[in-house]
Amino acid sequence: MTTTERQTMYDLTSVLEFDALSEVRPGSSILISGPAMSGKERLAHDILADGLRKGDGAVVVTTGDGAGSVVEEFRSLVPDLDDSQLGVIDCRGEGGTNEDAIGNAHVHHVSSPGDLTGIGIGITKALEGLHNAGNEQGRLALVSLSTMLTYTDKKTVFKFCHVLSSRLDSAGYIGVFTIDSGAHDDQTLQVIKQAFDGMVDVRDAEGGGREARVLGLAGEPTDWQQI
Amino acid sequence: MSDSDLPVVLIVEDEPDVAETYKLWLQQEYEVRMAQNGDEGLEQLDADVDVVLLDRMMPGLSGDEVLERIRERDLGCRVAMVTAVEPDFDILEMGFDAYLSKPIRSEQLHETVDNLLDRSEYDSLLQEYYALVEKQATLEATKSSAELAESDQYDELTERVAEMRDDLSETLGGIEDDSDFIATLRGLSDDDDN
Repeated sequence: MTTTERQTMYDLTSVLEFDALSEVRPGSSILISGPAMSGKERLAHDILADGLRKGDGAVVVTTGDGAGSVVEEFRSLVPDLDDSQLGVIDCRGEGGTNEDAIGNAHVHHVSSPGDLTGIGIGITKALEGLHNAGNEQGRLALVSLSTMLTYTDKKTVFKFCHVLSSRLDSAGYIGVFTIDSGAHDDQTLQVIKQAFDGMVDVRDAEGGGREARVLGLAGEPTDWQQI
Repeated sequence: MSDSDLPVVLIVEDEPDVAETYKLWLQQEYEVRMAQNGDEGLEQLDADVDVVLLDRMMPGLSGDEVLERIRERDLGCRVAMVTAVEPDFDILEMGFDAYLSKPIRSEQLHETVDNLLDRSEYDSLLQEYYALVEKQATLEATKSSAELAESDQYDELTERVAEMRDDLSETLGGIEDDSDFIATLRGLSDDDDN
């Protein structure tokens, strides 16, 4: 890894207050894992919104929400958003997007969450667009791996994650990828985890609210902590 | 298997002088096959061929049509398009693994062929890596952490997974550029069809 030395570390602590996330190395890929409805997607979007406020570019690979609604969401999360700092790869394979909402964002449509080549081309174009708009660093979110796993097998998804992580590493980006821990067997989750540098585990807390812990990025796994 | 252990390069080019020049440059390091048009190219093509240099503008079958038939045959070889004009990004979308614009210099040709062979190496390392990760995951999913701590097999697997991960990041410098990235992903989708 020689490409990332002069770039600055990513500080994710304003989204998740863990020391292990205060200096995330450019090129790191993080898996956000938790049961359904535990706020994984929101967390991934918050990490990107935090980056946008700090001048990082943002790329969203979405299998659920349309490009238009992703752009709208980031406009509301980051009121002074410059659209050209945002790239969206919409993998739903549906037309009917509200094109007005997309503005100057770099949007690419892909025929299905199983079209890995198409997703790769979309990511490449988004990275290029962000680079041309002056972004040297950025954050990518893929929401969600669970949907991709319904279109293609775990071997292919694992390899895809590995190859994409390598690409993000040469771009100096960080990546966050969500997975529904209740939707897959243990072996599948273990396989997918291995493609990542670290993991954020999310769960519902006993007394209400949610809690998280961080594994694998710096030192030992952290304790569960309210978020 | 081919007669020699050298990687096999197939040159599909309708201008004999140009084809001869490529052959001269490559024949020290590779076994070179030649074809003067698309139909001959498809005849010369078999599982031994590692890299195809395909001229895009030829009488008879065009380079694009030849590419399509190569992909249909699922041979797993890498195809570089040779073209007179600088192509845009769509070349990757069309399914070529690389392109060379004429006139081609010797180093350029070597670089491209080497890079395509590296990609094949990367693909097989990635496949091997996955097989190890899957074994490791099966142990993790079926044994308790106490059992894992005592298992030599698990220890050894963990070590090999780490080694393999380093090997992968050294091949192709990880995934350094866009065409490496897209071509590698295309390889994954092709596997899926098998």
